[in-house]
Amino acid sequence: MDTEFDMLMARAGITVPDERRDGLLAAYRDLRAAVALLERAEAEPAHVFRLDPLGGA
Amino acid sequence: MSPVAQARAAIARINAADHLLDAFITVTPARAMAEARMLEARLAEGEAPGPLAGIPYALKDIYDTAGIRTTCHSKLRENHVPAEDCHVAERLRAAGAVLVGKTGTHEFAIGGPSFDLPFPPPRNPWNRDHVPGGSSSGSAAAVAAGMVRFAMGSDTGGSIRHPAAYCGVVGLKPTYGRVSRRGVFPLSWTMDHCGPLARSVRDAALALRAVAGHDPLDPGSAAVPVPDYLADIEVGVAGLRIGVPRAWFAALPGADPQALAAIKRTAALLREAGARVEDVALPDFALFAACGRVILAAEAFAVHARDLRERPRDYGRVAFQRLALGATITAPELVQAMRLRRELTDAVSDALARHDALLTANVLIPAPRFDALPDAMAAAAPMQMIQFNVTGHPALALPVGLHESGLPLGVQLAGRAFDEATLLRIGRAVERLTGWDRMPLPDMTRPAGQALA
Repeated sequence: MDTEFDMLMARAGITVPDERRDGLLAAYRDLRAAVALLERAEAEPAHVFRLDPLGGA
Repeated sequence: MSPVAQARAAIARINAADHLLDAFITVTPARAMAEARMLEARLAEGEAPGPLAGIPYALKDIYDTAGIRTTCHSKLRENHVPAEDCHVAERLRAAGAVLVGKTGTHEFAIGGPSFDLPFPPPRNPWNRDHVPGGSSSGSAAAVAAGMVRFAMGSDTGGSIRHPAAYCGVVGLKPTYGRVSRRGVFPLSWTMDHCGPLARSVRDAALALRAVAGHDPLDPGSAAVPVPDYLADIEVGVAGLRIGVPRAWFAALPGADPQALAAIKRTAALLREAGARVEDVALPDFALFAACGRVILAAEAFAVHARDLRERPRDYGRVAFQRLALGATITAPELVQAMRLRRELTDAVSDALARHDALLTANVLIPAPRFDALPDAMAAAAPMQMIQFNVTGHPALALPVGLHESGLPLGVQLAGRAFDEATLLRIGRAVERLTGWDRMPLPDMTRPAGQALA
């Protein structure tokens, strides 16, 4: 997970000061646990998207 | 009191006590006195200069004020002076309120309390060794200390209600879209709410009445009529149905037994006053927290991405760590959070179709000491406010008593979308039933550690 975190920060172009890295990494691990809870959203209707054929029948 | 007398009293109180509390980043006495004199002249000529004529108030220092620096409590905006007022400041001026200054906050409404910023963190008037909560820290402290009748805060995950609870004042997060955010520095566009902190429910109602309403220049603002929040505020709670989502908080790790007892006692008082109070089932609080956390992190990162890349060391440690975390959220994770948000909002709306309001926890501990705070990025304190930022329902933080330590304890009410009037009505009843409306101001003249009334 440490490598993944470093890769994500690098991809975002963010240089994490050394003295701030441990705290941020701990929070990242905690956030990952929260993200795992989101997988249950399945039946919500607002994002069901149906594209009717352009120009009609 | 006349506007001039009110302004003079507020400034005197600030001068006497703010060196103890650091509630304000900027105090504007000359401007306040000029506004007050103008209002007094209008009154003398028989004009009616607005429903808040002469009432002193403060703005959290993320609200733009023309010609007055607006720092966001950050080195990044330490000398920023906006050219225009935010919408809320325009509305309050039109209502006759008098701005006396700008209050301290967590950096960018997320990073605090911190001692590595250009301004010190505000302190809790009930005991200056303790935090006032945040992020609307200075607004809550200024109101609790009697410096102003009300102050405006912002609330993205509880930032009005959390300091309201710690400082023993009323904090109202209105419905999403009720109050314009135009000219207020964003933290998370779909989670941000502006609202008042006040000494009393009545003052919170007065302030909301002045700032609520449609603003076509805030895309999130709703064109919903604004009622007179005072009309039924003294009606009481007889016949109202109040749901208690007990499973959210009853077994929460770290909850103080006295905070839990305060909720139970409030429910009993409401029942004795004629309300029907019953348990209600809602989705697990952890789902609301996860959903809100992901959305907030992603949106806040979008606000700050450039400065995080280019000026990382100009942020305080806490703000940097909390904001940079948003870089790790992926697009599918944000989409899943938004989908879950709809489900959770529907669940709360369904519960509120059967109940006039919900009674629940706010923060389940009294304010901790500055030197006893956990590491900023460690597990959060037992608090439950972000669910109503996720769903957008209005929520009201109310003080209901004192902990054995002498620090305030509170509860939270939530209501139907755009029905702040019912929340304020119940809130006023709670204020009366608990006797909090007769609670004296905390005594701040004592040394820190002995500042309890």
